[in-house]
Amino acid sequence: MYGFEALTFNAKDGYLEALVRGYRSGLLTAGDYNNLCQCDSLDDIKLHLGTTDYGNFLQNEPSPLQVSTIVEKCTQKLVEEFRHMRCQASEPLATFLDYLTYGYMIDNVVLIVTGTLHERDVQDLLQKCHPLGMFDSIETLAVAQNMRELYRLVLVDSPLAPYFSDCIRSEDLDEMNIEIMRNTLYKAYFEDFCQFCQKLGGTTAEWMTDMLTFQADRRTINLTINSMGTELTRDDRKKLYPAVGLLYPQGQQGLAASEDYDQVRAVLENYSQYQTIYSKMGFGETPLLDKAFYEEEVRRSIGSLDLQFHYGVFYAYLCMREQEIRNLMWVSECVQQDQKARIYDGIVYIF
Amino acid sequence: MSSNNRLPVVPTVTVLAIIKARLLGATKGHQLLKKKADALNIKFRKVLAEIVKTKTEMGKTMKESAFELTQAKYAAGEHIKHTIFDNVEAAQVKVKAVTENVAGVKLPKFQYLNDGSESKMEMTGLGKGGQPIQNCRTANIKAIQLLVELASLQTSFLALDEAIKTTNRRVNALENVVIPKLENTITYIKGELDELEREEFFRLKKIQANKERDLALKEAEQAMALMGDAFGGGGSGGSNLVDGDHDEDQLFTS
Amino acid sequence: MADPSATNSADGLMIAVIADEDTVTGFLLAGVGNVDARRKSNFLVVDAKTTVPDIEAAFKDFTTRGDIAIILISQYIADMIRHLVHNYTKPVPAILEIPSKDHPYEPEKDSILSRVTHMLG
Repeated sequence: MYGFEALTFNAKDGYLEALVRGYRSGLLTAGDYNNLCQCDSLDDIKLHLGTTDYGNFLQNEPSPLQVSTIVEKCTQKLVEEFRHMRCQASEPLATFLDYLTYGYMIDNVVLIVTGTLHERDVQDLLQKCHPLGMFDSIETLAVAQNMRELYRLVLVDSPLAPYFSDCIRSEDLDEMNIEIMRNTLYKAYFEDFCQFCQKLGGTTAEWMTDMLTFQADRRTINLTINSMGTELTRDDRKKLYPAVGLLYPQGQQGLAASEDYDQVRAVLENYSQYQTIYSKMGFGETPLLDKAFYEEEVRRSIGSLDLQFHYGVFYAYLCMREQEIRNLMWVSECVQQDQKARIYDGIVYIF
Repeated sequence: MSSNNRLPVVPTVTVLAIIKARLLGATKGHQLLKKKADALNIKFRKVLAEIVKTKTEMGKTMKESAFELTQAKYAAGEHIKHTIFDNVEAAQVKVKAVTENVAGVKLPKFQYLNDGSESKMEMTGLGKGGQPIQNCRTANIKAIQLLVELASLQTSFLALDEAIKTTNRRVNALENVVIPKLENTITYIKGELDELEREEFFRLKKIQANKERDLALKEAEQAMALMGDAFGGGGSGGSNLVDGDHDEDQLFTS
Repeated sequence: MADPSATNSADGLMIAVIADEDTVTGFLLAGVGNVDARRKSNFLVVDAKTTVPDIEAAFKDFTTRGDIAIILISQYIADMIRHLVHNYTKPVPAILEIPSKDHPYEPEKDSILSRVTHMLG
């Protein structure tokens, strides 16, 4: 397939690739971040963002500004851009873009399930959902009274239905820990997404497999670390590991048995690709291990821009955009809480 | 002292004794209350100092825990707060109200209580951001403990404030009203009794004076009679002593 | 002291929170949150949409419902209902003004602390 993509790619997806690369150039640069770090108040940040691609997106927000408002507005911008692309996309890019939203969808479904279990107001729940993870039947949530109905009436119509039916029996829905459910769904999602990308073939398959491998491994490592000291048993833990990734299956065996950082580290040392990650582990407290992962993610995302004629850029763009929102949140929070000393700890420079 | 600042009593020795006993009681009570007020004041000062200290500490702790939350959000995303909100069921962290006794004043105190039941929160962020979330949880639990302590101090402060006010009111009432009144009463009774005594004394003096005058008069008469006898040859052969010595009844008039 | 397990009411009173979303989130994470069968909660999230009467109602509810020992209230919110906080004199539940992350703590404004400093002269 190599080389031939160039012949046909632009016919369908050329415009969108141009579009996404255009969006990319609107991302904040290190210079922008440096300016933002000098800000003394959220209003200053608003002013600075006005000179970037964000423009006047905070124009109509009343003072005092809240960090959550900034984050919300940034997310809104991302969502608008993404939806724009989704509308223009033709198959199979459209499906690919849909796949990207499934992650958010899982979070939304889990949110709704939790809410239903606790009899929260449906309208409130819908407001809390991530806009990227909306699906058509989500509005019908109000009719569901219990978990079984929720599954039968709402979830079967969502794109997530196969994930549910594959790994969760409806009898389990009631008492299953919500976090386990979330991670089981994620596992199914990863495996499915991987298969889909393989089917697409070409550069897309190559790059996306690489990226998803990383994402799956990150999940595996996170699961391991976060389940230490909880009631999650070794077997349960292993069941949540996605069956893809570099660590699968050899490393996962080791990780499943790990009970502390040193053991995790020992397992990871066999994988030189994760040297940047494990080198940050094990030295006492590891406050922002997540940051190491984010950095790696961004590094790989930038790599995708060097290639052409593939879908990975869309995924990469989403990742970078998410990271930018996180960066902005971090900066705003630091400014608001007067924690200037920590401001550089959370920023992952993209460009 | 004017009669309106004393008890309306009949000035007798018995009443005096009663009033004296009351004064003794009041003085003793005053002393004790004074001591109580002092004890409360010492505690009060300590609480005040601690409140100021804890409040400042609270500022710091709260800031830290707020920042921990930022880290958690950074790692797990904004939506994590919804997960937290929707997982709320029954409170695990509670407080127990106990009382501490300082000089007879009951001070309400709160004790941090964690029923230790397995929290669903433990699994939050399993796939993403679990570590910072747990850090945030620990930081917030610490903050809560501090706040509970502060709340205890604060209620102690209020209760003590109230207790000190009442005690001081009582001390002042004893010092400025009851004790002076009793003292005035005693002075009054003593004054009245003295007056009576003086009158009695004067009367006795007067009687004695009268008696002495009468005696002198009689002696003079007798002397005259003797003289007459001696010179008149004792014509009557000596006067009848009984007849002649007619003793006038003494009238007690004054 | 009575054995805490002896009576039901003795095994703990709750801590109520009236604060901004982030502060409440933190405390909920620590486990103070309680939602009973009637979906009545012991916390109130104050955001731009919350009105002063809402806060007042919550404050009155928390101070009178009896199973709450401590009310944590963000200082800037306490400022909104200062008249209520100031006139509140009962020792239990105790009102505690806490700083919020974007409003630095101002000891002068605190109803209790102003009395404290007044005492110390």
